[in-house]
Amino acid sequence: MNHLLEVQSIHTFIGQYHILQGVDVRVPKGSITALLGRNGAGKTTTLKTILGLTPPRQGKVVFEGREINGMRSFDIAALGIGFVPEHRAIFRDLSVEENLKIAERRKGDYTRKQDFLFSLFPDLKRLINLPGTHLSGGQQQMLAIARALVADNRLLLIDEPSEGLAPVLIEQLMQAIRQLSAETTVVLVEQNFLVASQLAEYYVIIEEGRSVKQGKMKDLVNDKATIHRYLGAA
Amino acid sequence: MNLSIFFRKNLMLLAILAVLAGLFAAAANGMESSDFVITLLRGLSVGSLTFLVASGFSLIFGLLDVLNLAHGTLFMIGAYIGWTVYVRPDTFVDLLTPLALVFSGFMLGDVWTILSTRSLFAGGTKRVLPWAGILVSALILVGVLRSYPVSIWNPEDYAQSPVSISYLAGQGQNILPPPAAFGSISPLLALAGLLLGGLLLAFSLSLFNAGKQAVSKRLGWRSFAGFGAFLLAGIVFFVFNDALTAFLAALNTNWLFLTAVTVAVGAGIGLGALMETTLIRPLYIRPIYQLMLTIGLSAIGIEMVRAVWGRPEFTMPRPELFAGTGEACPATSLSDWWQYHCSTMILLDGRIRVYNEIFVPIVGLVVLAGVWMLLQRTRLGMVIRAGVQDREMVEALGINVRRVFTLVFALGVGLAALGGVLAAPSIGLSNMMGESFLLNALIALAIGGLTSYPGAALGSLLVGLLQQFIIKYGQIGIPIPFTDIIFKPTPPIVPASTILLMVVVLLILPNGLLGKKE
Amino acid sequence: MAKNKFFSALKPNQGSLITLAVFILLPFVVGLFNGASPAQVWTNGSGQSKFIQGLAIEIFILALYALSYDLIFGFTGLLSFGHSMFFAVGAYLTGILLKNFGFSLGATFGMIFLAGILQALLFGMVLPRVKGITFALVTLGMASVFHVLVISSELGPYTGSDVGLQGVVAPEFISPASQRLRLYFVTLAILIAVFMLYKRFVNSPTGRVCTAIRENEGRALMLGYNTFYFKLAALALSSLTAALAGMLHTIYQPIVSPNVAGLGYTVTALLIILIGGVGTLNGALVGAVVFRLLDYGLRRYIGESASFINGAVYVAIVLFLPFGIVGTWRLKSAQIRQGWERLAKLWLIGNRRD
Repeated sequence: MNHLLEVQSIHTFIGQYHILQGVDVRVPKGSITALLGRNGAGKTTTLKTILGLTPPRQGKVVFEGREINGMRSFDIAALGIGFVPEHRAIFRDLSVEENLKIAERRKGDYTRKQDFLFSLFPDLKRLINLPGTHLSGGQQQMLAIARALVADNRLLLIDEPSEGLAPVLIEQLMQAIRQLSAETTVVLVEQNFLVASQLAEYYVIIEEGRSVKQGKMKDLVNDKATIHRYLGAA
Repeated sequence: MNLSIFFRKNLMLLAILAVLAGLFAAAANGMESSDFVITLLRGLSVGSLTFLVASGFSLIFGLLDVLNLAHGTLFMIGAYIGWTVYVRPDTFVDLLTPLALVFSGFMLGDVWTILSTRSLFAGGTKRVLPWAGILVSALILVGVLRSYPVSIWNPEDYAQSPVSISYLAGQGQNILPPPAAFGSISPLLALAGLLLGGLLLAFSLSLFNAGKQAVSKRLGWRSFAGFGAFLLAGIVFFVFNDALTAFLAALNTNWLFLTAVTVAVGAGIGLGALMETTLIRPLYIRPIYQLMLTIGLSAIGIEMVRAVWGRPEFTMPRPELFAGTGEACPATSLSDWWQYHCSTMILLDGRIRVYNEIFVPIVGLVVLAGVWMLLQRTRLGMVIRAGVQDREMVEALGINVRRVFTLVFALGVGLAALGGVLAAPSIGLSNMMGESFLLNALIALAIGGLTSYPGAALGSLLVGLLQQFIIKYGQIGIPIPFTDIIFKPTPPIVPASTILLMVVVLLILPNGLLGKKE
Repeated sequence: MAKNKFFSALKPNQGSLITLAVFILLPFVVGLFNGASPAQVWTNGSGQSKFIQGLAIEIFILALYALSYDLIFGFTGLLSFGHSMFFAVGAYLTGILLKNFGFSLGATFGMIFLAGILQALLFGMVLPRVKGITFALVTLGMASVFHVLVISSELGPYTGSDVGLQGVVAPEFISPASQRLRLYFVTLAILIAVFMLYKRFVNSPTGRVCTAIRENEGRALMLGYNTFYFKLAALALSSLTAALAGMLHTIYQPIVSPNVAGLGYTVTALLIILIGGVGTLNGALVGAVVFRLLDYGLRRYIGESASFINGAVYVAIVLFLPFGIVGTWRLKSAQIRQGWERLAKLWLIGNRRD
């Protein structure tokens, strides 16, 4: 199978804490892969390790056949990886438009992508001149995803997109993610199993800093025992 | 936005501003209009200089989280460099060649990276090698520079000290000494030594980072372009040394002043970039030690200034545009001033110095607007504003934050150097000017909001005005109501008053007047 | 058997005990080197020993002062730029009470105690309002106001305005002139007592909460600790110690310079604990020794441009001892020991071959 991203038994330390103790993730090109697991299992750290924000001490991260662990995080991102962090991290002092423009990697990225972005998130067009502070949680989430799409990213790392959003918004968001995944491979961290199971094709379960199980989502949905054991949900 | 919401949200801010405006009106009421004009403009002048220090400090603190306690010293160094170019262009020209040659080595960064990653040496040698390299290059450089001819003043000898040179220059009687000649060392050997020392130094320093940097692409012509440019510049400056000196010395003082400002700002930018890349960068993970580093650097800087320019205070002469004293002076209008280039002019019965009280505030305003445009209208400005809030996210967008850090640090130091060179003709040069302005800037920032750019401007303005009004009232005294006592604020009260204002503001609005609520 | 027990109790404190012994013997040993018998040293005969005692007293006072800063900054995480005020209040109050009001030493100490508590309360008042760097600036403000008060001409008869407080006569039985050895031991004893107290404090439940506040105040709050009281307790202890150091300073020094109330003197405390290692307690002691000796040695042998070398040394320490002397030692001690062992082995092997 053609893997866009391969994470091979990475170990990551934050301070003196051994957070990741061997995580393997394989992400097929053009798919949505969900990282599942309990709070504090190491899902967010896995994303940050891929991006080099918390560099791994051991193990390999291979993106498009190129070993990227040990590179500086902005160099990694510039290879074509977009990041939507947990709390959206919208730049509050920048307007919505500036929030999008800042993600340009080549001049004109934003103008080129504008129509696509507004078709994904029609709301943003209306808000374009507002400062980032004035957005609601859902709008911020959309802006954060749109921002990660401005540059030509082949991989999108999305952390907890549905957190704190109303059900209607979640539905809207899932639509958008599905739509964008036609062109971009997505790795998703998601607490809400219902959302994850509807969106993702593949899954990886992380437990206490180790990847314990991975496979196709449709197999997992029927495997009540595994779900119960690792995710605690029914 | 809804006006009433705006009022409710900023109630305390508006209340403070109202109280300050009231105080200001009361202070204005208590003095004659001529005094008032002078004091107001002086406040603006000091405020502008403070702003130049504060704005750079605040940009650096906001983006890099570095409290650069050496910022005041860099302000001072800017002043002294400007003075040197302005009063002793020959010294400045003499120094260009060695500087260009030594720095040319650092332009070959890519070459060094590649050389240092090819492990030519193993084990113990690898550890000793950089140090040995630094030692050898230092020996070469010191050896060459000792006998390299630089025509310079001598702070030990009063007749040749900066104080008297500056005084003579002010009288228009500054005669540059004949150019120093090569004595004990042949010119070719000296140039080669400088180049070699620079190359060796740059290589040795890069050895410390061996293996830590990703090896970049192949060597292109770009890697050698900078080196070639510096080398060429060094040689050109060497060949045309006398001609350049003569040119600068014959230059109209207005243009010479502009040159001095440019050189000082450029030197500040270079110094800032050098400081950030070599010393500050390793410390981002242990922020508190940046305090110690910058305190140490500050002490080194002050001591170097003392060694080179001496301890006594002196003033840089004003450029001709602001130095006229003819019959038609003081000028009564701006057009008058433009015609006679008077050093002073009469404005609303007050006699003010044009350079200090009009030119400096104007430059301050121009810089305020310029940096504001940079922050609001350019991509770099956008990245800075975003980085102040969330550095990690900017990095995650694929933006080389380190380069932005270096740029911002260099820009901040450049602004401080600009402040210094502007201050040189108005408040004069002294070893202590850096510390007092750093304290002023810190207070201004605390009042305005530590990482807020408009806050830096507002805070600096308040600090400048408050100080000047209190100094003025120290001369004329404040009659205490219902008594015969006339209270005269003593000099120590001047800094204390601004600090008191800071404490009051911070206790009401912990983030300063325009600071963001966290 | 009993002997063994005694020694095994000594073992963990070996380092401290040796240091202590060195400091107790120091005046006499220095005396011997200069041909003064211990008896002469005992009776405070002038000479090299007396001079070294003086230097040591200064170091002890600095160490006390730095310890107090380490407690609030290194352990509790309160960055204060007004710490010099704690010291200066102690110094000035002692001088004024002894000179102008003829207080006895005991009564003065009582007043110092009160003043220390009051200062802590003053700084504590702003604690709930301001945090982080803002706290540093507000404390700087309060200390500056005190500094201005001290150098103002209105209070000149008491404080000596910008010349400094002069003519304080220390009580005869610990006079630095005639009873220096006694003063030496008194200061040393106070330093040791305070050091032990601090060790106790930082290892006590209260001290641990202070450390937790430094690490993450929000979490400490959520665990149900009213962090304000803990910070206030640390401030009070720190303020008392600094005021005590100030009192000793006045007793030892004939002149109290207004500089001790300025920002520069706070920076001194900061530098000392940065040199030694932040949040280590031992670091404050080591830092004080290094700081004072460096300053003294450079001024003596290099003269005016001493602060150039001083600055260079700070930069070097930052770059090469990344966590201060004690901090780096603790991190690296295993490696360093290994290095020595390797060296010793090499030495042995070399010898054997011979």
